[in-house]
Amino acid sequence: MTINEMSVMICDDSMFARKKLKDYILSLGVKACYEAADGEQAVDNYKEYKPDVVFMDIVMPKKTGIDAVKEIIEFDANAKIVMASSVGTQNHLKDAINAGAFEFLQKPISNDQVLKLIEIVAKGV
Amino acid sequence: MFAQFFGSYLLNEGIVTGPQLAKALDDKKNTKTRLGVLAINAGYLTAGQVEFIHQVQSTVDKRIGDIAVEMGFMTKEQVEELLSKQPQDYLILGQTLVNNGVMTNAQFEQAINDYKNCNALSEDDLNGDKTDKLDKIIADFYKVDGVKDPCRYTTYLTLLFKNLIRFVGDDFTPMNASVVTSAEYENTVSQRVKSEDVNAYTAICCDTDIYIKFAERFSEEKLDTADDFVNATVGEFLNLHNGLFIVNQSNELGNEMTLEPQEFVYKTAVALDDVAIDVPVAFSFGTVHFIISNL
Repeated sequence: MTINEMSVMICDDSMFARKKLKDYILSLGVKACYEAADGEQAVDNYKEYKPDVVFMDIVMPKKTGIDAVKEIIEFDANAKIVMASSVGTQNHLKDAINAGAFEFLQKPISNDQVLKLIEIVAKGV
Repeated sequence: MFAQFFGSYLLNEGIVTGPQLAKALDDKKNTKTRLGVLAINAGYLTAGQVEFIHQVQSTVDKRIGDIAVEMGFMTKEQVEELLSKQPQDYLILGQTLVNNGVMTNAQFEQAINDYKNCNALSEDDLNGDKTDKLDKIIADFYKVDGVKDPCRYTTYLTLLFKNLIRFVGDDFTPMNASVVTSAEYENTVSQRVKSEDVNAYTAICCDTDIYIKFAERFSEEKLDTADDFVNATVGEFLNLHNGLFIVNQSNELGNEMTLEPQEFVYKTAVALDDVAIDVPVAFSFGTVHFIISNL
């Protein structure tokens, strides 16, 4: 898969965090970039759009990012979910990995980190 | 970060006024430190010797360092050492105040020596951001009495100032803290930090024009009105800072804490838990209040 064929979803309750990440991801030339503002919407949107990679915050209203990851993985065991959170504590790291996330980024996230992950997913490693 | 607390010291001692300090914080990005200020700070020259060298320099076309060596005030090695070092931020602030005519070299000499003495700081301590020394300055500066874990407050504030410098700007002066029972500002963003035995309230409060400026700095975007995006931006700064704080607590002390989603209130007084501390930070665009309780 090339980056141009890729679809991405950003789940974060912060409009600011979504905009910053979306501006950068769109600048890479991805096919589509979806958004979700809470954990429930994240699960619903995943089922509808099946994005190739998901960036997921943890602290969100309605449903936490960890619970959303569990439900998405139940629906699609191959989902590629990157936790992108301000709270990379030991417990959260463990919970995220157990839930099925494949990477954990501590905020603030740099564009380089995002690019590297997008490239990894594009290569299908 | 010593520059901000040195600025605060100058203000509290009445050596500079608020507007003079704000102007210097704004001007200092264009300031180059001169050898005279560096040598006074290092204790190699007195302010009197610097004035003398300046007078000599007005009659001959020579560099200050060369004159100082010829006069026998400094060795060649000392001059080279000073010129090779990256000047510290508080020296750039001092130089700007001297350039702006707010302080003389002699007043700078007095102030920097008094500041170092009263905080038991050596030249080495001021080179870099040594956390234990910063913690001490912050603990002394704020004297957070009557709270369960003063050390945790100090850690929280040290990190806050680092994050302000990193994400918002270094043109601020920490002001004296006070104990408050309620907060009423045009805008308040709050977030609870919790663990088994902690239920802390943290907030950023300020009036609207300052709120927008703070959001502009953090988002690096031009913003006009205090809309949802501005709320989300200031809220994300608080979330980012609290997040980094609890990650450090988790890694260094094994304290597992969690964060709640932020809350936003507009023109509403907020009643605070018993010991709430208001830490005002005066930026060049206005004063932002950080309120912390039950941490």
